[in-house]
Amino acid sequence: MITINGKDYEVDVPADMPLLWFIRDRLGIKGTKYGCGMGLCGACTVLIDGQARRSCIMPVAALNGAKITTIEGLSEDASHPLQKAWLEHNVPQCGYCQAGQIMNAAGLLAQNNQPSEQQIDDAMQGNICRCGTYQRIKKAIQTAADELAKEV
Amino acid sequence: MKPWLKHTEAGKSVVVDSSRRSFLKAASLTSGGLMMGITLPGFAASGAASAQEYSPNAYLKIAANGDTTIYVGRCEMGQGISTALGSVVAEELEADWSRVTVLQADGDEDKYGSQATGGSASMRVMYTRMREAGAAAKEMLVLAAAKAWQVSVDDCVAENHYVLNKATKAKLGFGELTKVAATLPVPEKPQLKEKADFRYIGSDLKRHDVDLVIRGQRVYGADASVPGMKYAAIVHCPVLGGKLKSLDDSGAKAMKGVSHVVTIDRYDVPYGSVGGVAVVADNTWTAQQAVKQLKIEWDLGPNKDYDTDKYRQQLVANVEKPAKVMAERGDLDAALAAANKTVSATYTGGHLCHAPIEPNASLVWVKPDQIEVWASTQSPADIQKVLADYFKRDKKDVIVHVMISGGAFGRKFKCDYVHEAAVLSAQTGLPIQLTWSREEDMRTGYYHSISAQHIEAAMDESGQVTGWLHRAAFPSIATLFDPSHPYAPKGHVKDIAEHPFGIVNFRSESGEAPAHTRIGWYRAVYAIFYGFAFGSFADELAHAAGKDTVTFLNQVYDNNGNPKQAEQVARSKAALALAAEKSGFGRQLPAGEGMGIAVHYSFQSYVAMAVHVKVDGSDIEVLSVDCAVDCGQVVNKDGATAQMEGAVVMGMGLALHTEIHFKDGAVTNSNYHDYPVMRIPDMPQVRVHFIDSDHEPTGLGEPGVGPFAPALANAIFAATGKRYRDLPLKPRMT
Repeated sequence: MITINGKDYEVDVPADMPLLWFIRDRLGIKGTKYGCGMGLCGACTVLIDGQARRSCIMPVAALNGAKITTIEGLSEDASHPLQKAWLEHNVPQCGYCQAGQIMNAAGLLAQNNQPSEQQIDDAMQGNICRCGTYQRIKKAIQTAADELAKEV
Repeated sequence: MKPWLKHTEAGKSVVVDSSRRSFLKAASLTSGGLMMGITLPGFAASGAASAQEYSPNAYLKIAANGDTTIYVGRCEMGQGISTALGSVVAEELEADWSRVTVLQADGDEDKYGSQATGGSASMRVMYTRMREAGAAAKEMLVLAAAKAWQVSVDDCVAENHYVLNKATKAKLGFGELTKVAATLPVPEKPQLKEKADFRYIGSDLKRHDVDLVIRGQRVYGADASVPGMKYAAIVHCPVLGGKLKSLDDSGAKAMKGVSHVVTIDRYDVPYGSVGGVAVVADNTWTAQQAVKQLKIEWDLGPNKDYDTDKYRQQLVANVEKPAKVMAERGDLDAALAAANKTVSATYTGGHLCHAPIEPNASLVWVKPDQIEVWASTQSPADIQKVLADYFKRDKKDVIVHVMISGGAFGRKFKCDYVHEAAVLSAQTGLPIQLTWSREEDMRTGYYHSISAQHIEAAMDESGQVTGWLHRAAFPSIATLFDPSHPYAPKGHVKDIAEHPFGIVNFRSESGEAPAHTRIGWYRAVYAIFYGFAFGSFADELAHAAGKDTVTFLNQVYDNNGNPKQAEQVARSKAALALAAEKSGFGRQLPAGEGMGIAVHYSFQSYVAMAVHVKVDGSDIEVLSVDCAVDCGQVVNKDGATAQMEGAVVMGMGLALHTEIHFKDGAVTNSNYHDYPVMRIPDMPQVRVHFIDSDHEPTGLGEPGVGPFAPALANAIFAATGKRYRDLPLKPRMT
């Protein structure tokens, strides 16, 4: 049994199937993307018990009891500070990698809500954006961090 | 049933019966919605405003409640064209952007005009047509309001989704006016707005789909689904022209969830499959694992010795000796003989793979009466053509739902992956979603050409360039359509002779370069290596002449006496001047730092870049990039800025790191670890400056890539005194 975006699911697929394909092909929740299958690009990033992880290399059978959040579950109404900041900075181009970028940034801010530029680089370097939106991603994370700091 | 995809709250793509869609269309018409066909210039307009009576090339719909839908025929892949063209219609319509939904049109070139999205042509081709589409609709709404109030149209004005009665200040919403407007004739030559009155064009309008993206609800080709579909994975013949020798699929077939193993023969058309073996299964993972269980022997065919390290050396040899003359002006040999000084250099670059994060993916359902396709694509008409030819059907029976591409960069112009999904669907009788693995995407590409260029220049005593020999050798895109081309033909080297530098005595030559793999358009195409050679060599000549690069470039441009190129000269120089000014080019920098500059005209836009680097041994840190852009009237400033940011990232990746290697005929790269595209820590500060221009808008997806690599190489030279002439340059640094 695993919990995805607050809903419980039986794992009824081969044990070695990565979480990514369970989410996409078994459950039909398509916001989490396939990019490389080797944990090299970050497009498949989700939160597993609050930590940003690559779902393409995470066997679903190893996640019994885990709470998973995908982009669809990050907030009810796109109100997460990162989603708002992504909108403010008009970050996406094609948008395909952005769910992974946002979820990875969510993992970062959950641990450190005032990251330095260096810490943003270190945390986000595993997420590729082939369209080249990095400058905006950085700014959006800083904007979201500022908002989180105000909330505290 | 004709299912089609729709976004839902849950973010899943679902299927709605098309009869319901037809019903909705009909309902919006009968309840007073205005559906307006836009007539092409030269097409006769008939009387009434009804979709059926026109052959529109663009399409907008206003519902009785005022909700407005704009259909964009050009394909969205992240370049922002659907926002930009949508806003152009909204501008002239005087629409409230928050009331507008922009939808990607299905493939239908009779209705929308050319949908082949490439060459940075969409804005250039569609700008006026889309403005006229909005303006005509607005004039009809204004006339409808004038009739309602029984006043002159001059007493009415359209503003933000309603029409205002100037005298009484009464207002009628667009929705309220549709019923009457739908009965009016479509104006043939609607009045377009003055630049001073623009409120969307030239502004920083947000992408229309950003809200979908941040919720994970944007549906890409890889996300398309219909009930009953199965998933497929594929492995291709690793060498172009090879074929299957033997296959043992017992291991794959024994896997739970695997339903079919299908051999796909090479379909020898430019956009057909190279041939491979595919597995159909209950999910992508099982299909991918099963592909790994296939035991395949390939007959590798005539390209099995292709080795890019050796091939690049061969290209260098071929440009360092006389080759086929392509264009000539003046008397180059006399200029070289009379020169005070001659300078020569040879530049090379490797194959590149587009590597969008969404690999090739599509869903295809081959049915008895129809083939239905949901694909990330840049060219739905090519899908229609390839599938119609292959299955001997009518093109009209190939329905293409254009999904947004998760990056494309030229790769998804070619529909080999759609052809494969169609073969699988036909063989299994099922709808098939085929998603290539990253490895297959990287190894079965339509690669940017590997290239070599040799330039020799003659200089007089004052440092003026008096002659220029330019030899290029690269397997050209012409080989995709006719593999027998031994060297790049005239149309593929014309950018050399047409470069706006003023060179009186000139010759271009094309060196032998047969193709051993598929060559295709990659963002910026030939401007990548032409930009690199022209931009680098100009910097070398400036140093040889003892002049600063900007001064030298201005002289070379000023030497161009061809009146047909006067505009290109003036606009190139203006972009160069703006980049120099904004970057503070020429200022004193600390040791180890340097600044380089280059300007390149491509796809009818002008981009100059000034790159500021810090070099420490083999560590290159790009500190900042100032981009000066003349793309005519800027349509969406934020979108245009984003294109330049992206161009810097792609330019930096190919200048420093990325190269596709072939050995024994096959690509040796496999994934992002050995094709290291740029990542966030390397992101420089990018500043984008636009020339305020009244020229018609030109595209910006591609023109920013060309000038980056030469500006970087020039900056590294300024910092270190070392000249790098081979891309990518990082592996060659010691």
